Amino acid sequence: MNSFQLAVRVLRVDRRTQVSTTLTALGVAVATGLVLLLVSLPFATQARAERVLWQDPHPTYADMSDSAGTDPDATLEIVTSTDEVDGKVITRVDVAPLSAAAAKDLPPGIDRIPGPGEMLQSPELAQLASSRPAAELADRFGAKPVGLLGEGALMFPEQLVALVGHTPDTMPANKLQQARLGDGSAEPDELLSLLAGVGVVVLLVPSLVLVASASRLTAARRERRLAALRLAGATPMQVTAMVAAETGLAAVAGAVVGVAMSPVLHAAATWVSWDGGTWLAHDFVLPWYVTVLVALVVPVLVVGAAVFGLRRVVNTPLMAVGGHTRKPLSVVRLAAVPVAVGFFFWMLMTVNQTDSMLPVLVALGLLMWSPTVVGPWVTSALGGVFTKVWRKPAVLLAGRRLRDDPKSAYRASAGVVLAVFAGSMALTLMPSLEGESGYRSPYRESVLYLASDEEQAPAVVEAANEKLARYGLAERAATVGFVSVRQGSTDLTGYVVSCANAQVLLPVRVSCVDHPAIYAPSGSSVEVYSYDGEDERQEPLAGKPVASRDLPMVLIDPSLVPAGASLSGVDVAMPASNASRETARTAFLAASGGAQVISKEMMLGDQNVQLADLRRVTVIGLVTASLLGGLSAAISTAGSVLDRRKTFGALMAAGTPVRTLARALRAEAALPALVATIGAGALGTVVGVGLFGLVSKSAPVLSPWLAAPVVLGALVALLAASVCTPALNRVRAEPLADE
Amino acid sequence: MTSLLSGRGLVKHYGDAYALAGVDIDIAAGEVLAIVGPSGSGKTSLLHVLAGILKADQGAITLGTQRIDQLSETRRSELRRTEFGFVFQSGMLVAELTAEENVALPLLLGGRDRNMAVSTARNWLGRVGLAGKETRRPGELSGGEAQRVAIARSIAHRPKVIFADEPTGALDTKTGHATIETLMGAARETGAALVIVTHDRDIAAMVPRTVAIRDGRIEHSAVAA
Repeated sequence: MNSFQLAVRVLRVDRRTQVSTTLTALGVAVATGLVLLLVSLPFATQARAERVLWQDPHPTYADMSDSAGTDPDATLEIVTSTDEVDGKVITRVDVAPLSAAAAKDLPPGIDRIPGPGEMLQSPELAQLASSRPAAELADRFGAKPVGLLGEGALMFPEQLVALVGHTPDTMPANKLQQARLGDGSAEPDELLSLLAGVGVVVLLVPSLVLVASASRLTAARRERRLAALRLAGATPMQVTAMVAAETGLAAVAGAVVGVAMSPVLHAAATWVSWDGGTWLAHDFVLPWYVTVLVALVVPVLVVGAAVFGLRRVVNTPLMAVGGHTRKPLSVVRLAAVPVAVGFFFWMLMTVNQTDSMLPVLVALGLLMWSPTVVGPWVTSALGGVFTKVWRKPAVLLAGRRLRDDPKSAYRASAGVVLAVFAGSMALTLMPSLEGESGYRSPYRESVLYLASDEEQAPAVVEAANEKLARYGLAERAATVGFVSVRQGSTDLTGYVVSCANAQVLLPVRVSCVDHPAIYAPSGSSVEVYSYDGEDERQEPLAGKPVASRDLPMVLIDPSLVPAGASLSGVDVAMPASNASRETARTAFLAASGGAQVISKEMMLGDQNVQLADLRRVTVIGLVTASLLGGLSAAISTAGSVLDRRKTFGALMAAGTPVRTLARALRAEAALPALVATIGAGALGTVVGVGLFGLVSKSAPVLSPWLAAPVVLGALVALLAASVCTPALNRVRAEPLADE
Repeated sequence: MTSLLSGRGLVKHYGDAYALAGVDIDIAAGEVLAIVGPSGSGKTSLLHVLAGILKADQGAITLGTQRIDQLSETRRSELRRTEFGFVFQSGMLVAELTAEENVALPLLLGGRDRNMAVSTARNWLGRVGLAGKETRRPGELSGGEAQRVAIARSIAHRPKVIFADEPTGALDTKTGHATIETLMGAARETGAALVIVTHDRDIAAMVPRTVAIRDGRIEHSAVAA
């Protein structure tokens, strides 16, 4: 009988092996499915990016508005801008063919380039436009809808996109020339790729802990069986082959199930919004070689771990048969966390030099592994305290168990610990990033801004006000000019705008005086920079400024700007209330011919979408890790009952109530979990602070919610530990029966 | 002689196989008896049924004046904890606990405080010849020593009946005999009845009364002269 046949024989007759094999296969299936999903994310974002290459300009010249003539390679002119309706982003692409070649080789989902005054729109935009008055949306494009964009031209099915046709002379001013629509190359989303890398660590480890917990269900019995085989003359290689065959059966079955269920996970993932929308089903299709690689690597890792765990039986079978005294754990283990934290921060500090996130991810992996080194030592120490201070038998039993086998006791909580670590890290990052959102915005709420220039701005103001009047709105547009100024030794931006308009259009609080004036942070004189060819001049502004301490800029009444001073830019700004915002936008866009309109809400909207994405991914990751961790803890607890079935059975036969044993087992499972989750929470917070330091110099926001993962983790551990009661009840039914 | 523990018409079957097929048995206070029989004869089932570990399918078991077969599992557990003591074949000690803690465990589970339970445990360990080995774990004791810990544990709470299921099964002859001597001495000292299940005729010969069982029925009962 060869190793494989022996493994099959054991599987057929031994119920506990069947349960263990099923759970191991489940763990491998979950691990395989999750890895396949996570590694598909960069591919999915790249697929999205490739579909929307046509929505971004890829010019043949850097900026054709400044160049003379036409690039011979160019077949069209293009401008891309973003707009919004009801807080949803609209991508608008204005395009003008320069030759008939522009209509050749169009990107998927676009059957033609719309003619001048025509537009193609996405189905979602068409539906929105038809469901509301033209003044609120349709009029913005100044073009007649003549068709729909196909799914292949959209980032996600519900994307709002308009492709507006022009002749070259009606194109917005910032047009660019391009060889063909859809030129360029696409890259995967860096943030999601990074999160996928973190996700592999955060979710794969609990999956493997689940596999380890499942295989531990039969560990004691298997060790005895294999040790007996060794004593009967089996070589180490034969014993190793038997274990590889036993675990391999489960691992291969699990990997097959994992691959088979990955389309289901991918289908579920298409519903998870990222970067403003959901996904197409085929975004997550992986290259076949990646699928094969994952389906091979995960089972190989599992079999490798099982064989590694057998070294005691292989080396000293008598010890495995007769039991042994465990060596106390070295205090050196305590150094693992500080070393890992130090290495992590070292990697963080050098990340800018290497320009790669891989070392940080490796350090993060080591950091997440470090609690598994320290955890058993802490568990043992905790057990030592219990065995000294116990008053009740439950505490004595728990304390002795923790002291005697801290690695097994800690293993039950390892999955939960990782979930708590990830949650605390995320909860440190989230509020800190949210605190950054909208920080020092140069825009005022409920005001629309359009970048223009000194020449065109008056015409845009006039056209916009005419549209506003026609739509029956009271709001009016005005210009805000910019000049560079100096007050004392400080360079500031000078806003050329009346004080009354500044109060409405800019994010300032200023008390206006009853005459044209300059308002500055202090009362000292202000000089304005002006450029004359290559020379820069500083010209003092007439009059002493009105000091307004809260002002981060200088406000200059248009009538006080010296005649020689040239404006560095001009914005057209327009207030818009919640009720009038969409109509005001329409008026603005129609007046500007499709130029980019911005607002504080749009800027915040981008940040909020990203934060919501992060939050959503974090919650999904946390819940998944908690479920896996809880399942591992439950299996470990059930396993610890099965391992000691005879002892518990004898105690019950002698009259020990199940509730007393259950209390001891709960204490045994929950107490180390509680200590470990507090440690993991602190560690996660430290890592979160470190990661936040990568993206911001601000102080991180530490909220009381940081306690939530710790409480959640302890609760999951406690609930998982409660499975000991049904397991003990099974023992009680036949306390002295053979296993 | 008044019976302390009695079973009447005890029947226990597993599927079609009868482990007990109508057993009547009486055990007096302080009596020592051995239940003997070949493997599968039903002797362990009889012990488990008498101790309330297993419920008989038919029949009555009385401890003093109380029908214990009609009690709930919780009450039977309580009874086993307070009125009975147990010695199993391989000691069945809690591997993580020291000898002293193993002996103290039934007392603690019965609600005694730590100091009292530990001092009683030490006392009994001394009486079974294990003074100085109180802090050893079961894995650090020989088979005979582990059985003596089990004996101390079974007697420490002063039960009315001690049930010993193949207590010498894992021991050599000499150690087995010494263990039975210790067990009978401890029972005598506390006035507990002792029921020993064994397939070893030599062990049975050490005991005043022997009940032979075969195919779930009592074959004969003999009292040593």
